[in-house]
Amino acid sequence: MPKKHDKEKGSPFWDFFTSVRLTIVILILLAVASVAGTLIPQREEAARIAHEMSPAMVQLFETLQLFDVYHSFWFRIIIAALGLNLLICSIDRFPSAWKRFKGSDGLERTAVFKDVPSHRIFSVSTGKEETSSRISQWFHRHFRRIRIKNGSQEDVLYAEKGRYSHFGVYLVHLSVIFILLGGMIGSFVGFEANVNIPEGETVDTVFLRRNGHPVELGFAVQCRSFTVEFYDNGAPKEYKSELIFLENGKPVLDTPVLVNHPVSFRGITFYQSSYGSMAGDKILLRISKDGSGKGDSLVEVKKGDSFPLPDQDGKFMVSDVRADFMRLGPAAQIQVQPPSGEPVLFWIFLNRDAIEKMVPGLFEKSPRFNYQAYRPYSFFMQKAETKYYTGLQVNRDPGVPFVWIGCIMMICGFFLTFFSSHRRVWVKVSEKDGNVKVRVVGRSNKNPVGMERELDSVTESLRNLTQ
Amino acid sequence: MSDAEILSYITFAYFFSFLAYLLMMVMGREAFGRAATIITLAGLIGHSMGLIYRWVESYRIGIGHAPLSNLYESLIFFAWAIILLYLLIEWRTRNRSVGVFITPIAFLAMAYASYSPNINSRIQPLVPALKSNWLIAHVLTCFLGYAAFALAFCLSLMYFFKRMDKPSGKNLFVKLIPGTSILDDLNYQMVAIGFLLLTLGIITGSVWAHSAWGTYWSWDPKETWSLITWLVYAAFLHSRMVRGWRGKRLAILSIVGFSCVLFTYFGVNYLAGLHSYAT
Repeated sequence: MPKKHDKEKGSPFWDFFTSVRLTIVILILLAVASVAGTLIPQREEAARIAHEMSPAMVQLFETLQLFDVYHSFWFRIIIAALGLNLLICSIDRFPSAWKRFKGSDGLERTAVFKDVPSHRIFSVSTGKEETSSRISQWFHRHFRRIRIKNGSQEDVLYAEKGRYSHFGVYLVHLSVIFILLGGMIGSFVGFEANVNIPEGETVDTVFLRRNGHPVELGFAVQCRSFTVEFYDNGAPKEYKSELIFLENGKPVLDTPVLVNHPVSFRGITFYQSSYGSMAGDKILLRISKDGSGKGDSLVEVKKGDSFPLPDQDGKFMVSDVRADFMRLGPAAQIQVQPPSGEPVLFWIFLNRDAIEKMVPGLFEKSPRFNYQAYRPYSFFMQKAETKYYTGLQVNRDPGVPFVWIGCIMMICGFFLTFFSSHRRVWVKVSEKDGNVKVRVVGRSNKNPVGMERELDSVTESLRNLTQ
Repeated sequence: MSDAEILSYITFAYFFSFLAYLLMMVMGREAFGRAATIITLAGLIGHSMGLIYRWVESYRIGIGHAPLSNLYESLIFFAWAIILLYLLIEWRTRNRSVGVFITPIAFLAMAYASYSPNINSRIQPLVPALKSNWLIAHVLTCFLGYAAFALAFCLSLMYFFKRMDKPSGKNLFVKLIPGTSILDDLNYQMVAIGFLLLTLGIITGSVWAHSAWGTYWSWDPKETWSLITWLVYAAFLHSRMVRGWRGKRLAILSIVGFSCVLFTYFGVNYLAGLHSYAT
């Protein structure tokens, strides 16, 4: 019978992957590769050291994918080898664990009663049958799978518990395979993307983190509002986006998204990940005609709307608003359409005075920045509306349930492996010259100290039963 | 008196318990051992009260959270977990010799937390990413695991002390250390417990990261180093359970494992990453 399993073992492939030495080598290789990945700047940070290295070196690092260790082909090969090693080791060893789980008939093993230590032998006052039946009752309460063989001179009782502990290791190994599988599913079928949504706006496309390619969601997301709260010491307290999910233009779900409180919609999960401020659509303009300050008009204008100039000698509009233009702060682009001729385009700045001080004469010299480009009018930006945009991380990862199932399996497997053992106890009740004696022995697949303690307590309990 | 002040005094309690354990080991007098246990236990009680006081205090100032949120609080908890676990082992094995090795670690953690100018002991409010029920589960499991590994590390050091003196066996200090097979067994048990707790710590961390950062694993240096630590101890367990290694080689692996723990805890702060609130 055992020949059957040995058949495949002859192949060098099988032998290679059943070796635990290989497991240890793979574990160490993974550890070393991971260390490399934490020491060499990865992905986005790689550029930081790349320009300090010689081009040949950079080329070498790129070829070996050392700037993205954890996603490199060779790292994946190590992980695949680990998976294969686990699988093959488990297949190789499982039949013998199964055999130990099923257990041979414990009653056949009479050799266990050789050399029973004296403190595990005691005499009883009750008769043989009575003693055996009391012990059997006690075993039924405290153990599983009780077998009894009655003889004329002696009865043998066999009981066991914790046989599932043989499977602990396999459960742990299976859990690792589940986790790796979940990771694989995530990287093949899922995506990681980002999107920034300004308050009040709606998007239906997000952008992959890896390469910026757009991904259509199949529905739309609107950011109703974004709020950020701070503690007294200036540390951030809460980031919150109020989102509305729309399908075919109809709102389906209206929900807040906070850090640690993501929202899933149609299998896609939205996480609060960043925020920023941007120029709003409205600015407050002051238009002056003679520079005296008298008769200036203040108007609030919205980007894209056309307004007549105060004296009706042309029209103007705000064609662009930036929160930070050329690192000079908030700015707006004004487009003036004279009654006849080409339109005049120029930028005006909120921090005009400060810029003038920093770069004297900038506005006079370059017509692009001259707030007086359309004489006799001067345009001043009085106030800029800013609004927030929320930065959301948008993920789809169907592998996650596999990972969580794997995690639960792993913990259960550890409990079976480390804290349970297959304990088997034999008791012999023998009668000689009217004198009834009880012998207690036991075996365990691990933790011999614990087994001794258990046998002590079994002996003690049985002694008390039969006094 | 502030909670941080109370906790800074506990540093001395552990220093004195170290001295008492040392006297016991050198003089071989049981009385010193009993005194050491009493000082350590008293330290642990004061330590626990300090932690609870800090917790209550954080609610009083309106930013209530478990004292497990930054480097200071984690060091204090690390020392607490070490002492708690050690006293349990002392009670179970009825042997005090581990004390002289473990108390300096608790003392150093407390001293570093309380007296390093780089560590802020003020109670700070939680930033949004830390506001999660997983904070307690994650930090608790990780640091209990680290404490178990610290004990395994001490047991491995003791193993080498014991071996060095093997032929003569006359050195009193070494005589009080249990036999190498007991040390080996305890080392394994501590690693098994630590491994289970570290696994739980990594899992709770992943579940948390999944809701805070949108991904259960992002190869952040701390994550990666915790994986490295996990791999080293996995190698330890396999070499013992399957290949039957015992003694010296396992003691070395246990020491390597604990160095990885220390790097995961402190060293990673020199590599930028997502876990920056722990610095």
